Amino acid sequence: MTAMNQAKSLDIRQLLTGHIADVFHTMLSLDAIPQPKGPLPNFGERITGSVGFGGDRVNGAMYVHLSIGLAEELACAMLKSAAPQISDTEINDVVGEITNILTGQFKSSLSDAGAGCAMSTPAIIRGLSYQIEPSPGVRRELLLFHCRAKPMAVEVHIKFN
Amino acid sequence: MGTRILSVDDSHTIRLIVSRAFRDYDCQICEAANGEEGLAVAAREKPDLILLDVTMPVMDGVTMLTLLKADPVLKSIPVIMLTAESGRENVLAIARLGVRDYLVKPFKEELLVQKVGHIVPLQKKVVA
Repeated sequence: MTAMNQAKSLDIRQLLTGHIADVFHTMLSLDAIPQPKGPLPNFGERITGSVGFGGDRVNGAMYVHLSIGLAEELACAMLKSAAPQISDTEINDVVGEITNILTGQFKSSLSDAGAGCAMSTPAIIRGLSYQIEPSPGVRRELLLFHCRAKPMAVEVHIKFN
Repeated sequence: MGTRILSVDDSHTIRLIVSRAFRDYDCQICEAANGEEGLAVAAREKPDLILLDVTMPVMDGVTMLTLLKADPVLKSIPVIMLTAESGRENVLAIARLGVRDYLVKPFKEELLVQKVGHIVPLQKKVVA
């Protein structure tokens, strides 16, 4: 199998489910429970962490969508702080770092399958209602989870060149 | 004075986790948010060990490490790379740069302390 075919045949959903469980368990001592396929939940006020990746054979981006409430809980868990002491900047940083670590693990799987790439630094989007549309020819995978009974979504856009 | 550790990471969260990991040890933690700041702090503080992130804005960890190893005063400071990327290619690239060890994120604080303790002496703080 060529390197490109090896990378294309990766089971992205299975990989990401494993990576998310690992990150949440190790860094947060929390479980991220996979949910059936479906549309992006209505989060109310939402925060999205985003990290891009790109190389000769592949490019794309990872997005982690959370409600503001769950993002605050994750920040408290990671920083071991109480909610009133957590600032928006700290919440942004925690969501960015979770997205960065997830993307790093995903990137490692791509690299090991022959599609090496580099990563961007994290960016944060906040708002009430927005959608991230993939460009034409870009594959989109959406994975839904529950953490502490609150919805969470991980979205990856990927294109093999 | 305890062991001096320089934590270079653009993530405030990771720098905080590093500080927390060593709070029970006689350590002085100094911080920098990118490689450029990291080089300046390393030159000023002469730490016993550097914990260095790979992907950072302004100057990344690989560039900082390359410049550090080219500096006759700083090149002997041991470096542990913290990386979100565990792929074979990345690990080999890091090893070639002359780091003492590396740690893949996500990591447990206990593992970080264990790896640092293998390179520099760590003394538990004495509780009065």
